Amino acid sequence: MITIENLSISYGKEKRVIDALDLTISEGTINGIVGLNGAGKTTLLNAMYGLKSIETGGIKWNGEKITKKAVSYLVTEPYFYSNITGNEYLSLFKNKHFDVKKWNELFLLPLDQIIDEYSTGMKKKLAILSVIKQDKPIFILDEPFNGLDIETCRIIRSIVLGLKEKNKTIIMTSHIIETLTNLCDYIHYLEGGKIKYSKEKNEFKEFERELFENLENKSIKLITELLN
Amino acid sequence: MIVNLLNIRFKQFYREILRIGFFRNIVLLGISFMLLVFLYLQTNNFPNAMYASIIVLLLIIMLHTKRDDKIFLKINFSSHKWIYFIEYLFVSLVLIVFLLIHNFWEIALLTIAVLGIITQIDLKKNRTNYNTKIQKWIPDECFEWKSGVRNLFPIIVIIWLIGISFSFFVGSVPIALFILGIISLNFLEKGEPYQMIIAFEKKPNKFLSLKIKQQLAILSIISAPMIIVFQFFHSHLWYVPFIVYIVFCILQVYAILVKYSFYEPNSKSTAAQIFIGIGFVGLLMPIFAPLIILLSLRFYLKAKQNLSYYLNDYY
Repeated sequence: MITIENLSISYGKEKRVIDALDLTISEGTINGIVGLNGAGKTTLLNAMYGLKSIETGGIKWNGEKITKKAVSYLVTEPYFYSNITGNEYLSLFKNKHFDVKKWNELFLLPLDQIIDEYSTGMKKKLAILSVIKQDKPIFILDEPFNGLDIETCRIIRSIVLGLKEKNKTIIMTSHIIETLTNLCDYIHYLEGGKIKYSKEKNEFKEFERELFENLENKSIKLITELLN
Repeated sequence: MIVNLLNIRFKQFYREILRIGFFRNIVLLGISFMLLVFLYLQTNNFPNAMYASIIVLLLIIMLHTKRDDKIFLKINFSSHKWIYFIEYLFVSLVLIVFLLIHNFWEIALLTIAVLGIITQIDLKKNRTNYNTKIQKWIPDECFEWKSGVRNLFPIIVIIWLIGISFSFFVGSVPIALFILGIISLNFLEKGEPYQMIIAFEKKPNKFLSLKIKQQLAILSIISAPMIIVFQFFHSHLWYVPFIVYIVFCILQVYAILVKYSFYEPNSKSTAAQIFIGIGFVGLLMPIFAPLIILLSLRFYLKAKQNLSYYLNDYY
C-alpha cells in the first residue's frame, strides 16, 4: 500500500504546486491521476520517484519511505542518449528473466538501429520496454498513451492489466479521460494541489460529467465574451 | 532583432555564471586573467600573433560546427549569418584588440574576414553511423564510448593507424595519443538521461569509480599498442608517450568529475565545458597542474553531492 500524507511541494518560495495532499493507493490496483494542465500530476509522480524535494509530509510504501528500488517510472517524453542502439539502451537495465526478443514481438522495434533514427512513437515504445524490464512492484506511467497508435495503445492496455494480475501497483496519468475510466480501478482528481475526489471508476463517470459540463460552460462564456 | 538576441545571449551567460557558483567563478576569473596575460604576451611578436589567431579561429570553427541552435536561428531569423558574425566577433574581441594594440592590423583584419567566411559554412551533421564489431567489445555501460566511436569511427581508426604505422617518426605516437585523448574527452560533454544513471543502482562514489575505471580501461587499451611500438624505435625517449598517456588519464578523471558535478539530464552543461577546457589548457601548462588536481578533489565532492539526488536510494 502507498500512503501519501500531508505532502507539500513548492517551486521556488511562492508557487506551491502540491498542498497538504493525502492519498492512499492499494496494492495490486490500477490508479489514474487526472487534473487540468499544471494541476501538479507530474510533480506528484516525480515526488513518488524521489525526483522532487518534498517540503512537508512523506510518501510511504508498506510503511517505509518509498525509494527508487520499488518504482519503475515512465516519463511523458522519454529522452535517449544519442548514437546508441535500442538493444544497448535496454541492456543497461538488469533483469535476467526479461526476454527482449519476445517482448519486442509486441512492438517490432528495430533494436539494432540507433535510437536517433526512431520515430516519437518508437521511442515511447522503447521507454515502455525499459520500464517493463525493470519489473519493480510499483509502475508509475506518466501519459503512457501519448504519441502511440491505436494498436499500441491496446497493447499497453493489455500489459497494464497483465501487470495488475501480477499484483503490481500501477499509477498513471492521461489526458484522455476515457482511457483511464475504462482501465483504472480508481481515479484521483487533482485540483489546487490537493486530491479533490478519489473514486472508483464507475462513480467517477458521474463526477466527470458534472466537472466537464462546468468547465465547458465557463469556457463558452469566456469565448463568447472574447469574440464579441 | 540582433540586439534582442544578443540581450538573450547575455542573460544566458549571466545565468551560467550564477550556476557556476562563487568559489568556481573566482577560480575561473583567476585562470581567465592568466590566459589573457598569456595571450597578450604571445600576440607581441609576429609568428606567435598569427598562431594565436589561428588557434582562436579553429576554436570558433569547432563552436560553429557543433552549435545546436543553427536550425532555430535559420528558421526564425533571416539575418542569422549576421547573428553568427556578431557573436563570433564578441568571442574574438579580446584577441583583435590585442592584435591592434601590437600594430598587427593586417592579422586583425584577416581574422575578421575569416570570421565572416566561417559564418558561411553550413555543414550538415553527418548522420552516418558506423556499426562495427569493435563497438560490441565496448561494455554497454560505457555508452559514451559506444556513442562516440560509432560517430567518429573512421577518424579514430585513421589516427590510430597513422600513430602506429609512422611510429618510427618520434612525434607520431605522442601526437596520435594527444588527438585521441582530445577526441575521447569530447565523448563526455553530453549528459545522459537520469534513467541511465539510476540503472547502475550504485551509490554515487561507486558509480563514479566505475565510470573512471571503465574510461581509463578503454583509453589504456587504445593507447597500449602505440606506446609499445614507440619503445621499439625510440627506447631512449620511453617516457614521452607515457607522459602524454598519464596527462590524458588525469584529464579523463577530471572530465568525468566535472561532468557529474554539473550534470543535468539530457543536456550539455556550458559550465562543465568551460572547466574541461580549463583543465585541458591547465595540463598543457605545468604551472596549472596542481590547480587541476585540487579542482578534481573539489569536483569529486560536488559530483557525489549532485549524483546523490538520483542515486540517494542506493546507499
